[in-house]
Amino acid sequence: MKPATRSRRREPELFLNRELSWLAFNQRVLEEATDATNPVMERLKFATIVASNLDEFFMVRVAALRHRVAEGDLTRDLAGLTSLQQLEQVAVRAHEMAERLYATFTDEILSALAQQGLRIQPFAELEDAERAALSRYFHAEVMPALTPLAADESHPFPMLAGLSLNLALLLEPGAGEDQPRLALVQVPARLPRLVHVPGASGTRFVLLESVVRAELAALFPGQTVRTSAAFRMTRDAEMEFDDEGGRDYVAALEEELRKRRRGQVVRLEIEAGADALLLRLLAERIDVGPSDTYRVNGPLDLKAFLSIVELPAFAALRDPPLKPVTVFVPQKAEEFFGLIEDHDVLLAHPYEAFDPVVAFVTRAAEDPDVLAIKMTLYRTSGDSPIVRALSDAAERGKQVTVLVELMARFDEQSNILWARRLEEAGGHVIYGIRGLKTHAKIALVVRRGRQGIRRYVHLGTGNYNERTARLYGDCGLLTADPVVGEDASAFFNALTGYSDPPTMRKLVMAPAALRDRLLRLIDRERRRAEAGQAAAIRAKMNSLQDEDIIRALYDAARAGVRIRLNVRGICCLRPGLKGVSDGIEVVSIVDRFLEHARICHFHNGGDEEVFLSSADWMSRNLDRRIELLFPVEDADARRKVLTLLDAAFQDNAKGRWLQSDGTYKRHRPAKGEEVFRSQLHLHRVARQAAERARAPLTVEPLTSHETST
Amino acid sequence: MPTQGDGITAARALSNQSSRGGYNVMEGETAMTTRTTDPDSPPLGLAAPANSAAPRVVAAVDMGASAIRLVVAELRPGEPPRILEQASRGVLLGKDTFTHGRIGPATLEATLKALEGFRRIMDTYGVVHYRAIATSAVREAANRDGFLDRVRLRTGLDVEVVDGSEENRLSYVAVREALAGHEAMTTGETLLAEVGGGSADLSFLRAGEPVHSGTYPLGAIRLRQSLASWHGSHEHRVRLLRRHIHNIVEDIAREMPLAQARHFIALGGDVRFAAARLNPDARDAALQTVTREAFLALCDEMTVRDVDDLVENEHLPLAQAETLVPALLAYRELLCETAAERLTVVDTSLRAGLLIDLAREEAGHGIDDFGPQVLASAAALGEKYRFDARHARNVAHLAVRLFDEMRGEHGLANRDRLLLEVAALLHDIGNFVSLRGHHKHSLYLISSSEIFGLSQEEMAFVANVARYHRRAMPQRSHLGYAALDRQDRVTVDKLAALLRLANALDADHLQKVVDLRVERGDEAWLIEVDGAGDLTIERLVAQARSDLFSEVFGRRVTLREAAGPI
Repeated sequence: MKPATRSRRREPELFLNRELSWLAFNQRVLEEATDATNPVMERLKFATIVASNLDEFFMVRVAALRHRVAEGDLTRDLAGLTSLQQLEQVAVRAHEMAERLYATFTDEILSALAQQGLRIQPFAELEDAERAALSRYFHAEVMPALTPLAADESHPFPMLAGLSLNLALLLEPGAGEDQPRLALVQVPARLPRLVHVPGASGTRFVLLESVVRAELAALFPGQTVRTSAAFRMTRDAEMEFDDEGGRDYVAALEEELRKRRRGQVVRLEIEAGADALLLRLLAERIDVGPSDTYRVNGPLDLKAFLSIVELPAFAALRDPPLKPVTVFVPQKAEEFFGLIEDHDVLLAHPYEAFDPVVAFVTRAAEDPDVLAIKMTLYRTSGDSPIVRALSDAAERGKQVTVLVELMARFDEQSNILWARRLEEAGGHVIYGIRGLKTHAKIALVVRRGRQGIRRYVHLGTGNYNERTARLYGDCGLLTADPVVGEDASAFFNALTGYSDPPTMRKLVMAPAALRDRLLRLIDRERRRAEAGQAAAIRAKMNSLQDEDIIRALYDAARAGVRIRLNVRGICCLRPGLKGVSDGIEVVSIVDRFLEHARICHFHNGGDEEVFLSSADWMSRNLDRRIELLFPVEDADARRKVLTLLDAAFQDNAKGRWLQSDGTYKRHRPAKGEEVFRSQLHLHRVARQAAERARAPLTVEPLTSHETST
Repeated sequence: MPTQGDGITAARALSNQSSRGGYNVMEGETAMTTRTTDPDSPPLGLAAPANSAAPRVVAAVDMGASAIRLVVAELRPGEPPRILEQASRGVLLGKDTFTHGRIGPATLEATLKALEGFRRIMDTYGVVHYRAIATSAVREAANRDGFLDRVRLRTGLDVEVVDGSEENRLSYVAVREALAGHEAMTTGETLLAEVGGGSADLSFLRAGEPVHSGTYPLGAIRLRQSLASWHGSHEHRVRLLRRHIHNIVEDIAREMPLAQARHFIALGGDVRFAAARLNPDARDAALQTVTREAFLALCDEMTVRDVDDLVENEHLPLAQAETLVPALLAYRELLCETAAERLTVVDTSLRAGLLIDLAREEAGHGIDDFGPQVLASAAALGEKYRFDARHARNVAHLAVRLFDEMRGEHGLANRDRLLLEVAALLHDIGNFVSLRGHHKHSLYLISSSEIFGLSQEEMAFVANVARYHRRAMPQRSHLGYAALDRQDRVTVDKLAALLRLANALDADHLQKVVDLRVERGDEAWLIEVDGAGDLTIERLVAQARSDLFSEVFGRRVTLREAAGPI
């Protein structure tokens, strides 16, 4: 079988467009914002997520589509759409989405908050004394940060930062002029967007742009401001984002092309009441057409509202917190590593705490028997206990090797600083692999015990980041399996350039082998189904987009393999097509935690195999990233992973099933059926397991009431 | 840390034996002293292990023609080495040496980079005890000394250049361990072959013991280089390559009774690729069996495919794709010369042999000197040149008896005893060429032959000892003798003195003397011989040939017949 080079048939009817699928995902997040059964602060949070997701989508995906259209690129995507067609459909959906978002935000969320006494007030509603106080604030704090800018034909248009908030205004024509003049004022980004109304109890706010607007006369002395409006531009970011907020510069982009793309405006958001002439002049100057102009019925840039979500006074408006269940970690390194030697430990975050993972590194750093610690770090901040432990370890003379993937090309000094400190302590820091982003999450501890060298490995689906570990649904495995240890050493030797890529026995690495392995695993089920055996595949991931994989799944489904997929975000696979994918089920869960684990489960004729991975089934992950897939072999650990999978397909509250037309539908509980919300269920199961357990670091399985496949 | 300390002393003692190679100790020694005095601040790269009683970790490095490889392993008494890490970097030393005769600066740099990385891996485990070897690609490079000096200065690694027979020995050591009890290692005749980048190393085993071994210009990179210089279609070039390989294999068949081999053990990445291709479900197995038909069919399938095809469709790295076809053709031609019905493909290597040596050393056994195998291989060489086996064996016996009796006098090592025995077995093979000046023919025949387990330097040494079994005494004007260093010249003198006397004791070629004993008298060495028959001639010749003996050991020699058996 030569999976990687199968011939490409054009069968657009078999695939969903990636951009529209992404928009459908954001639509599901929006649903949570509009869902009146959610507490209002949670709705507000989801609304801000929808807004910031859209920002990134325009900066990256829409920008790329526009660029291809400009270059005259007529190629079609998997779903048979040209870039222009995609742009058109995206614009229609995005406008609908923005309207729905603001309708919810302004009419429902803000008014519900107002009922609870948390008000965003228009300037006109304020008392005179309050206005006077805000005027003082303006002159003392705001005005020094402002620069009024002329933006008429006689001046070059000012270089305003993408996503920054600005005011555009029209000045009455002066003597000898017949046209009003366009001028701009930036709303300072470093000041709080929500300004407390002085003297109020701390639950009344005005928007910063309203404060500025009230004082425009002071900024343009001797001139008359005819009208003004807040606006925001989204520019081409020339990069890709991934699910973890990392950024990829568009690698294939040549410098010349990059220059042409630089800073192009891909979206203009402006408040709905803006004057028609003002909008026309502005749109002309920044070269934005009507379909890229979004007239927004409410405040721009909803991200700013995240600051009120966590206000302590409004706990009643939030979901009660779901705290991670504590997992006992022995103080002594000897005992801790001994436990891992006894059996593999599977951790399901954020239902279970991330502490054991942090302890894995910190205990290793303190343990005199540990010879080396090697790990990948992706988007980690310098103040994390893991980074501190690594520095300690290096200072103690242990061999510390860290593969760091920095966030961006122009990363601030502060971000690089901790890596430099680690180097000064004697650590070996590798700043990424040319052309391939290291996305694998793996930590290796080499220890000299009485019985000789032992290796302990942590492998995960999520980053070594204690903060996101409280919000992201991820899995991690602590193991002392000697073969995994050997593979882990080989993996780091390859990454550090000490060795050519090795043949590994248990770990599977992208880009070299992961795609082939997945295709082979899928194909094996197909062959079993063809031989008349029961065959089933279940998998969980963030995104499914790779054509080879999708086609292999179709082939398997045609042969009779039962395929159940839990894909949170993009899914280009079209389920339920007669004779192609009627055996495939796709469910997405959008709830309180960001679903982030990558799991796959193959029936394999009863000799079941379960894997975890850092990789989504997307071409970029399989071809342009360093990723890992690893088996879960310990019976208890495996049961625990399967519990996570099982829950997803039972979710009749937050589960949405993908239909063949690309839309999603919930399976509402039937009459008399209990509501099953998988994330709450898993948290409950974790809590119960922890209560039952007396032994430290228990791997007692999270038993759901249905653990069969 | 008593064991560690002892290990170092032993290793140092060994590494002082220059010509035998031996073990290396890292410059980390001083660091270790530091560690004893100040356990809290170990130097970088040598974290202080608290469990000092833990098993020792050693490393083996092998610089081949297409890659430099490392294996790090843990040694436990009585157990096979436990592999901790393996690393490999593709460095095309062979391409440089086999095309330009020397290693170019880019390849030197790549080598240094690879070894610096390996050194870092070794440092993870605080490895101080290792052996690093280089084979033909470095051995044949005109600038090898400078090259190795750069390696030592930049990486602190002492790399030892080994010759073909040492490669053969290491492979044999590894195979003997991997195939313990296997019928190919216990009964009948077996060909053990590894087609490397620079050369093919072959050993012919009888009941598991090597009797012939040799290194032949069948290396895949070398073959590939010649292929590259021929023009024409792929098919045409493959045909030329086949003929070229066939001719070499025919030459080999004249030296080694290939046709007798009923078993064929194959080592090497290319043949492992073939085995994995034929047995996809057992690709990780340490031992695979491939039938003759299946292997020949696969060779035919592979030879029609060009490099691009192999890279694209077999997912081979370019370097391996280039050498796969020449290597498989070499195995194919060899297999066809034998009577083997199948190919036994073993996943082991020189590095495994190095580890076994290191483990023996660690356990205090010293390196296996392979005495029986060396002698069997020497006897096979003797047979090739139709020696008088009885005479040769008798002389060898008497020579080592003299050696043993004179231990207190000559102060030589056991290895020298073995070399004396080999020289005694082969002293007359020059007769094959011509009776006239046959000792000189013996000299060059031995010098240009290979004996399993003996290095090229040792062969030169043996040749000199054999050369002086006749009238002429060692002289500085003799080129072969002059080429030895002073220490070795003294040893040649001593051993030749013993050989001359032993040879004299079988002057009649009738093996009348069966044993002897030496006593030191006031004015003479009294040699009491135990034998039957008339020893007049022997006595006369012995008197004449004891000249060197008297010179070396300071007294005349007197022969006396023993009253009864000694």
